[in-house]
Amino acid sequence: MSELLANLALGFSVAAHPYNIGFCLLGALVGTLVGVLPGIGTVATVAMLLPITFGLPPVGALIMLAGIYYGAQYGGSTTSVLVNIPGEATSVVTCLDGHQMARQGRAGAALSIAAIGSFFAGCVSTVLVAALGVPLTSIALLFGPAEYFSLMVLGLIFAVVLAKGSVLKAIAMIVTGLLLSMVGSDLETGAGRMTFDIAELSDGIGFTNVAMGVFGFAEIIRNLEMSQESRDIVKAKIKGLMPTRQDLIDSSGAIARGTVLGSLLGILPGGGAVVASFAAYTFEKRISKHPERFGRGAIEGVAAPESANNAAAQTSFIPLLTLGIPPNAVMALMVGAMTIHGIVPGPQVMTKQPELFWGMIASMWLGNLMLVIINLPLVGVWVTLLRVPYRLLYPSIIVFCCIGVYSINNSPTDVVIAAIFGLVGYWLVKHDFEPAPLVLAFVLGPLMEENLRRAMLIARGDATVFATRPISAGLLAVALSLLVLAALPMIRKRRDEVFVE
Amino acid sequence: MPEGAKTSANGGGFRFKVRGPRDFYGGLALIGLAILAIWASGDLPGTHGFAFGPGTAPRLFAGLLAVVGAMVALGGLLFDGPRLDSYAVRGPCWVILAILAFAGMIRGFNLGFVRVPALGLVPSTFAAFMISIIGSTEMRWLESLIAAVVMTAFCVVLFVYLLGLPFQLWPWY
Repeated sequence: MSELLANLALGFSVAAHPYNIGFCLLGALVGTLVGVLPGIGTVATVAMLLPITFGLPPVGALIMLAGIYYGAQYGGSTTSVLVNIPGEATSVVTCLDGHQMARQGRAGAALSIAAIGSFFAGCVSTVLVAALGVPLTSIALLFGPAEYFSLMVLGLIFAVVLAKGSVLKAIAMIVTGLLLSMVGSDLETGAGRMTFDIAELSDGIGFTNVAMGVFGFAEIIRNLEMSQESRDIVKAKIKGLMPTRQDLIDSSGAIARGTVLGSLLGILPGGGAVVASFAAYTFEKRISKHPERFGRGAIEGVAAPESANNAAAQTSFIPLLTLGIPPNAVMALMVGAMTIHGIVPGPQVMTKQPELFWGMIASMWLGNLMLVIINLPLVGVWVTLLRVPYRLLYPSIIVFCCIGVYSINNSPTDVVIAAIFGLVGYWLVKHDFEPAPLVLAFVLGPLMEENLRRAMLIARGDATVFATRPISAGLLAVALSLLVLAALPMIRKRRDEVFVE
Repeated sequence: MPEGAKTSANGGGFRFKVRGPRDFYGGLALIGLAILAIWASGDLPGTHGFAFGPGTAPRLFAGLLAVVGAMVALGGLLFDGPRLDSYAVRGPCWVILAILAFAGMIRGFNLGFVRVPALGLVPSTFAAFMISIIGSTEMRWLESLIAAVVMTAFCVVLFVYLLGLPFQLWPWY
């Protein structure tokens, strides 16, 4: 315990450095901006801003990128409540009750409950990250290649189970992602694999290009297809930002449950903030004594998902920082950012660079505090921004994405690859394939192959090693049972229900 | 694959309908990708003793993809599913064209029959903005021009002056 406090003290001393506070603030603001604006997601933003962090010190860079991630969770709620358009995929469910509250003249209460819930969740999950960091790191040291491989299999199975729609198609996306990740030079022999003798492909397909294409460009192409209905901004002046005592009492349970659910789903690879918010809303509705209130302005329907998405955004740093495995696409970009600064993510970060590890954790708490303080008074500014028409917004996003992709390697080919993946992403959506599992598999692919090959080599070609080593066998058993559960038709039906709501 | 949702089987001489064309053609495309990957990794050495060769994992996953793709396609053949969605042409074309224009202009390229010199950040950004804006049905010329100039200026200030990234700004500099 005292060790934890000492670590946190170290963290706060790093995070409270004026520069780092500045980066944290900047990240949180940019994140909120991105969260507010519909049509641009967190993944695309972090990818776009990677080049900006080149010149920064590593701690500052990571603090800023982390700020963007959780800042977006705050910002997303603003648009959901006021305009009924989710600014971020994580706030889709917040629209349901949040906008109804706004129509009943309770926009202020909805916004402040969302902020309070997010802040509470942020505090709890920050402590959780700090507390779980040390024990999980020591577990990580017990892991050999076989265990790492099985853990990643489990992560991918989670992504399958948590994806919406058909289980089979999610598996297809996983395998596609793994296959795409193998393009480029072989790890051991350096032989070019599936490069079609294109020199630019010998380093593999860059993850940023794939993410930017599938999440950035494809999203824009899809938005252009929809008619741009006029945005129904709540015009009434937002008054009474403070929630009433009754609001606080009503939502306290929902906030607590949302935080717990979000924290758990955030840690799981393949989970993350989107799933957390859906799950929290559904759970809240199911246990409510008056489920009919949901969708008509129930404050729990705002409190639970907003707490959950923020908690999940924070706890998803745990697998990255302790095991070196990115659980979702944003964390994969964080790997990229760390690698640029010469940091290899994994258990050694905590021992070798404690100021980075604890500084980042402490900055998360500071960032959450800033978001509450800054955002509520700034709601008016964010709403004004929403009046920028999409026809001007999307070319700006495209230009920014192009410059971002290009400047990572100063390579025009990367921009072309991103464009191709934009079309691929559009095609995937048209055929009801989920891009998220593909991207996660693409990220984990090289790590998985490396560990698979190493495990097989150590076991002298005996594939049963994955089943005979206890930790590995346990992980695989969990993965298998999850897959069976997800494939069972009865549960599948129920799962679809969750996502339809 | 926007072609008709009907296909005929020659086996018994009867025609039957693809019930879920989205899944069916989606699955077929994945099988195609798998075949491409198997062909492309065909010349790589495979397992050697206990050790995986460079070709082992690609062929393993390509084979798996072919199987899963076939299952998806089969599901589309047998079970009712949503119809194929229509593809927009205008948005995707102009957006992709804008991105390609940026990629082509920023450093220039030489394909043998066409050569474009390096034009730098300012013309590339401006062109990408103006081309992509045509993708929307709501574009207005004057407004777009002003926005493009403002955005270009903003990008130059942010990336070149504030962040100090090494960009060539103009064709001559």
